[in-house]
Amino acid sequence: MSAAETRQGAEGDVSLSVDRVVKSFGDARAVDDVSLKVRRGEFVTLLGPSGCGKTTLLNLIAGFLAPESGEIFIDGAPISGLSPFERNIGVVFQNYALFPHMTVAENVGFGLKMRKVGKAEVERRVQEALEMVRLPQMGDRRPRQLSGGQQQRIALARALVIRPQLILLDEPFSAIDKNLRAEMQVELKTIQRQVGITTIFVTHDQSEALSMSDRIAVMSQGRVQQLSEPIELYRRPANSFVASFIGEINRLACTRRRDADCVLLEHGAVRLRLPAARVPGEGTGDSMLYVRPEALRAVDPGTPEANLCDGTVDAQVYQGTHVDLIVKADNGWLLRVREPGFDALERWPVGARLGVHADLAEACVY
Amino acid sequence: MAIDGRRPTLLPWFIAPAALVAMLLVASLAMLFQYSFRAHLPGTLDVGGFTLDNFQDLGKWLYLRVFIDSLVISAWTAGLSLLLGYPLALALVRCRSPWLKAAILIAVIIPMFTGDIVRTYSWLIVLGTRGFINGSLLGLGVIDAPIPLLFTTTAVVVALVQYSLPVIVVILSAAISHIDSDYEKAAASLGAGPLSVLWNVTLPLSMPGILSGTVTIFAWTMSAFATPQLVGGGKVNMVSNMVYHLGFASFNFPFAAVLSMVSLLLIMMVLALLGLWLRRLERRGFAG
Ligand SMILES: Nc1ncnc2c1ncn2[C@@H]1O[C@H](COP(=O)(O)OP(=O)(O)OP(=O)(O)O)[C@@H](O)[C@H]1O
Ligand SMILES: [Mg+2]
Repeated sequence: MSAAETRQGAEGDVSLSVDRVVKSFGDARAVDDVSLKVRRGEFVTLLGPSGCGKTTLLNLIAGFLAPESGEIFIDGAPISGLSPFERNIGVVFQNYALFPHMTVAENVGFGLKMRKVGKAEVERRVQEALEMVRLPQMGDRRPRQLSGGQQQRIALARALVIRPQLILLDEPFSAIDKNLRAEMQVELKTIQRQVGITTIFVTHDQSEALSMSDRIAVMSQGRVQQLSEPIELYRRPANSFVASFIGEINRLACTRRRDADCVLLEHGAVRLRLPAARVPGEGTGDSMLYVRPEALRAVDPGTPEANLCDGTVDAQVYQGTHVDLIVKADNGWLLRVREPGFDALERWPVGARLGVHADLAEACVY
Repeated sequence: MAIDGRRPTLLPWFIAPAALVAMLLVASLAMLFQYSFRAHLPGTLDVGGFTLDNFQDLGKWLYLRVFIDSLVISAWTAGLSLLLGYPLALALVRCRSPWLKAAILIAVIIPMFTGDIVRTYSWLIVLGTRGFINGSLLGLGVIDAPIPLLFTTTAVVVALVQYSLPVIVVILSAAISHIDSDYEKAAASLGAGPLSVLWNVTLPLSMPGILSGTVTIFAWTMSAFATPQLVGGGKVNMVSNMVYHLGFASFNFPFAAVLSMVSLLLIMMVLALLGLWLRRLERRGFAG
């Protein structure tokens, strides 16, 4: 049984459920019929290009916006009737939004004060939260006296100290420089696992999404295109948008034709045969074959190993850990073939003839 | 295009008009200053030689009283303008409906374009013994005889508040619009209800605007003339009215100059205090 199946569990394990939610601004649907279920303690990332509706969806969950239709459930209870301050959801903003007129400790304690928690208890829990984000000495400072990364951690502490049912983070690392970002990613993930809190994380950095998430929801034009685990998303993109959006991929034009329980893909002299089960839809006609550079291998031309096509090396791109060969296939395709190490630099010089082997189990057709 | 790095610049031309006005202002202040040290020659428009006598009269209850009244009226006007202006400014900045926004803006700003004489006369029409309020109350039988509304300190304050409202709303809404709404959202997500957000976040963060707005209204009310002159009808006197009276009824220019200098000094002190206060707020992390 795969990890995904084990975790599926009972309905009672669903922490957040978004059910057919729609939100428009004027004529444009910013969130268009979105449904998703997030399990307790799960880390789900909303990933997508700018303007695809990620922030709008977060605002709907937090209650800063009201959906036109659809309902959102937290721990099984509908929350559309609740104002943001009645929802018990922690939010971390892109610019941190730490109150500048309060000290760090007052910031972290704000949510507890609103909940009328006793003074001693507030003090204890604030200190605990500051220790959790490894800034126990900073309580008396003002937010503007902290670095960006420290402010980020305080914002996280402030959101977690109220023990919310759910935490929402909208591109929390986009204002942090690259080195610190990697550190913060690890730190957030560690804290998230420790606390075991259900997390919705927004980013448009796909490597961030792939490395941190239990599952990723790829969004485009207000819709969730695919919600899967990172590996599944990368290896089995649900449609051409997801395939092109995540990672690098070769898009190879071809015509497709049904042949018994197989699908025939043709382009020029190339003919490929894939089991029909691997190709969604019944369509005949123009299609695209999607295959990742690392699913391709350079082999001697004209051999049975060269199961995709033959061609010529057009360029070499050295990337440190690997070499990308840009190959001009005899049928007109332009492919990127990824060879590990640097041997390929000598073995396949520019202008050399080569065959391309494809691991067709890793290919998709749309 | 000069290449030697000394590009011809238009800057002096932009500054010139302002510099001219400033020079005139300084010159007239200097005149005022030296008038306050000259002897008053009753019955003439001329002034005599150097004297410090003018400053002795300052201590007289008659004049002290005018200063105290002016300070009290200015304080009330500033406080009430703030109380009425803040909600309006908040609504103006935060309301979502463009229609409501436009309505507030028009209602608040239009009176600014009517000029203070016109506005003040309309207060005479509203507050007079045969005015709108007394007329309505009499007509409804609530009162038997008109109540004196005009020529009272209250009436002057009311008229001054109306006069000041557009200005303070503009100052406050500028300050409020600089507050990132993420602060308010963050507070709400942490469990703060609307009133709590206002009290704990929006109000403290608009402190710089509140201070400068209130002080601006205070300072400019200190120098109000037309409103207390007309609505006060001689029964309510502020510094400007006294200066006018001294200058153009008694032709006592030196003492009028003394009163002007003192009120200028008062206003400058208030502004200096504001500056200090704002700097302290800024140090404590308020947006500023
Ligand atoms: N308050 C608003 N009024 C009008 N249109 C809006 C508003 N907020 C968002 N939109 C529109 O809704 C769409 C989705 O916006 P949203 O902010 O959710 O995108 P996003 O995925 O968060 O993008 P980004 O990655 O740039 O933050 C966009 O087309 C945007 O222009
Ligand atoms: Mg966004």
